[in-house]
Amino acid sequence: MTGGAMKGTWATELRDRIPEVLGREIDIFETQMDLRSRGDVDEKLFAETRLRRGVYGQRYDNGHRYDGERTRHLEYREHPTKGVDTMWDAPGMVRIKVPYGALTREQMDVLAALAEDYSDGISHVTTRQDIQLHFVHIEDTPDLMRRLAAVGITTREACGNSVRNVTACPLAGVCKTEAFDVSPYADALMKFLLGHPDVQDFGRKFKPALSGCAHEACGLVNMHDLGLIAKTRTENGKVLRGFAFYVGGGLGAIPHPAQLVDEFVTEEELFPLTQAVCRVFARLGEKANRGRARIKFLVAKLGIEEFRRLVIEERAKLPHDPRWTSYLVDVAAYKETPARAPGGLVTNGGQSAGFRAWHKTNVRAQRQDGYAVVTVKLPLGDITSDQMRSLADIAGEFTGDNVRLTVEQNIVLRWVSEADLPRLHAALEAVDLGQAGAETIADLTSCPGTDTCKLGIASSRGLTAELSKRVQELDLASEEALQGLRIKASGCFNSCGQHHIADLGFYGISRKKGNRLVPHFQVVLGGKWTENGGSFGLATLAIPSKNIPEVVRRVTGRFVKEREPDESFTDFIGRLGKAEVKNFLQDLTAVPAYEEDPSYYSDWGDPRVYTMDDYGEGECAGEIVPRVEFGLQASEREVFEAQLFLDAGDLPKAQDMAYRAMLTAAKALVQTEFLDIRDDANDILREFRTRFHETKRFHDKFAGPKFANYLFAAQEAGADGGRPDQVRQRVQEAQLFIEAAYACYEKMGTWGAPA
Amino acid sequence: MTPVESKVDALSSPEFNVKLFVENPAGVDLEELIPVFHRWIREELLEDELPIDVAGYARVPKGPGVVIVCDHAHYYFDERAGRPGLRYRGRRVARGEGEEGITRAFRSLLRAAALLEKEPALGGRYRFRTDQVEFGINDRLRAPSDAQTLAAVRPALESAVKALYGKPAKSMALASGPREPFMVSIETGTSPSVEALLGQLAAVAG
Repeated sequence: MTGGAMKGTWATELRDRIPEVLGREIDIFETQMDLRSRGDVDEKLFAETRLRRGVYGQRYDNGHRYDGERTRHLEYREHPTKGVDTMWDAPGMVRIKVPYGALTREQMDVLAALAEDYSDGISHVTTRQDIQLHFVHIEDTPDLMRRLAAVGITTREACGNSVRNVTACPLAGVCKTEAFDVSPYADALMKFLLGHPDVQDFGRKFKPALSGCAHEACGLVNMHDLGLIAKTRTENGKVLRGFAFYVGGGLGAIPHPAQLVDEFVTEEELFPLTQAVCRVFARLGEKANRGRARIKFLVAKLGIEEFRRLVIEERAKLPHDPRWTSYLVDVAAYKETPARAPGGLVTNGGQSAGFRAWHKTNVRAQRQDGYAVVTVKLPLGDITSDQMRSLADIAGEFTGDNVRLTVEQNIVLRWVSEADLPRLHAALEAVDLGQAGAETIADLTSCPGTDTCKLGIASSRGLTAELSKRVQELDLASEEALQGLRIKASGCFNSCGQHHIADLGFYGISRKKGNRLVPHFQVVLGGKWTENGGSFGLATLAIPSKNIPEVVRRVTGRFVKEREPDESFTDFIGRLGKAEVKNFLQDLTAVPAYEEDPSYYSDWGDPRVYTMDDYGEGECAGEIVPRVEFGLQASEREVFEAQLFLDAGDLPKAQDMAYRAMLTAAKALVQTEFLDIRDDANDILREFRTRFHETKRFHDKFAGPKFANYLFAAQEAGADGGRPDQVRQRVQEAQLFIEAAYACYEKMGTWGAPA
Repeated sequence: MTPVESKVDALSSPEFNVKLFVENPAGVDLEELIPVFHRWIREELLEDELPIDVAGYARVPKGPGVVIVCDHAHYYFDERAGRPGLRYRGRRVARGEGEEGITRAFRSLLRAAALLEKEPALGGRYRFRTDQVEFGINDRLRAPSDAQTLAAVRPALESAVKALYGKPAKSMALASGPREPFMVSIETGTSPSVEALLGQLAAVAG
């Protein structure tokens, strides 16, 4: 391929590198985009389809933006929307799932390229080990997905009401305190749940996390919908692997600690029990009220005992799936290969102060002698494409493919020979990635907030960027008592910045002063980061955004001065109590008049006069779309493709696709009553005939069984070659069958229940 | 369904980008550009653009700096490779192919550079040198970073630079590695003012 030569497309260029399943999914998404652009797919359905492909909305995509004086209409081209009140041409965000944060060098290279080609040159590491690209246009997303698929990454189910990224401790496999390496389990769980039929009917998202031990922070199991902590048990002299199995944890506006379902679930039972949890959540979870649709609300409503009973009952009913245990072969074979032999760090006093500071905070000895894990500290999770490429090269030289993203928005390099640490530090320094202070008070976490998020209320990134400077200026990280504290901020109460489990947490709110709005942050103190996000902080009071740096200065100062020997920050805040904390910070709640100090009326990093006018409807919750509608949509897309084959003169494919489209529609209806219907034409036909045809539920008021007979006739005709007019008729019949399926569905109640 | 193959090449890409470097890199303060760029949006100072937002990355060393994100272009004041400057990057829709597209990219960049030089809030501290220019294409499919792309682009680029500067470029060299976006470093051999170059463009167009 050369610059002067004619080029094909990414689809053709990467044809041999994209796994067939992923390639097909992306082609389908591109067809869905095409159908939506013609107005042939409902906007809500398309929005949820798009979200489930990781293609997310972004601030101002409703076509309005406040410019500091007034809200302006952004005059995009006339086009169908890509969701409710979401302009097609408005740039959006793409979330790229990176299961348990594990990246190869090749994947890093591709991520760097995608950030340059489709975004603004920045890859953003999220608090759930994803990568987000911002300002991406929807027409670029199929190629973006293809380029990811060619290196084994999918964006499928990165957003929407689906199973989100499976996260895990970034030290898994090299940690001194873990029971065993959870990496292959995280990998297998992700593969098992991706696209699983039992996870398509959730009312909200579902986030799993795995941890190797109970007492460190890494997996943050306590705040996850599904949390798994590795454990072993000895029975009859044999060491068994399993997991403490938690459900119903979550942050958000109302944080809930996870509840223990079973203190030891064997590795053989891990998947079926997870599947049973998903079925109970899909069946009984809230659908109408999104604010109460996470599984934590269901667990709280039922109580853990009843929830457990339902899960066990569901587990007993599950049809056997060989994948429940077949993955254990991959677990046994899982192995990481270091690039270099182990070695020891020569400490001859010749190392620079910079190296020593970095070594103290960014280097951790592995369980394996002679190796260390190095944390590359990123400013608020951002890394440029140039840095990403350089880091891939550095990994190649020092560690191989042993790179992981962390929930603190950093990147770790594992399996670094300790002898290489000085050279590695120099290599990182050369590309501005050798900053000390990882996982300290100087390593702040933030969600995107008002920078890009539609739900952002205050500028969490602006605030944390400012706090980073202040922490540096005050040299807080050099104070032993403060060094391990965490500062985390979210742009709103939804807690993407994980403020509830920070020592000093902040989330954006707005308050009115006179007739003007003032950006504020609610101050949440004393959350526990360790013990998998062990406890949630104390919400104290709302402070103007511009006074938050003073909050940090005061609170940390008082902690240093008044703490008792070995007293943790969490305990210190508990001892002070809410009343005293409020009293201590009360004067900082005051907002001067605009005329006196207008700076209070703008947010950090954003000089525009503060407003809530840009606040939009979030897409975190996705659209509530029953699975049957996805099935019917798939059948529509298939009949569209059948038409394309017909137009191209490919009659056998057109005929086959038309038949498939009818089967897909029939299956969608059957699944409303029989979830476990196999993807087998004979099974679908039998069940459809019994449940819908013979009961006359599929009959048309005037045409009777006519449309159902199209399906049966197509099945009888099989793949026998038809004349062009016959195939054309088959395609038309498929279209009519699908319309009849929609009519049948409409006659049924919502969620497939009989009317 | 396999998408229909399109036959395209580097010069038809909408992703042309052009960068001018500042005369005084030490005088750059990215954070002071954020209110300036917000005001440009408010006062609609960027011709032919639909600006959407300002993205600030001052915290990231040698990064994209401060970006005005528009519907069909991004304007970066970036610090890539430690060399601060203003970059125009086309997006999505080609504003002309070949030399025409290159010239339009230069025009958009020079207009923004002139705005920055005259920006009252900056007191004339941002001036651009024009003896070195970067031209690139952020499109790895149509314009991989290699000698063939340079060969394909060179005639149009030489012609556009000659029309703009009134004489041929002194040199053009591939400035990007194989994994980077295609980028050409151009030594123009002369350093007229931004205003003079805009005047030249107007004269050529007129």
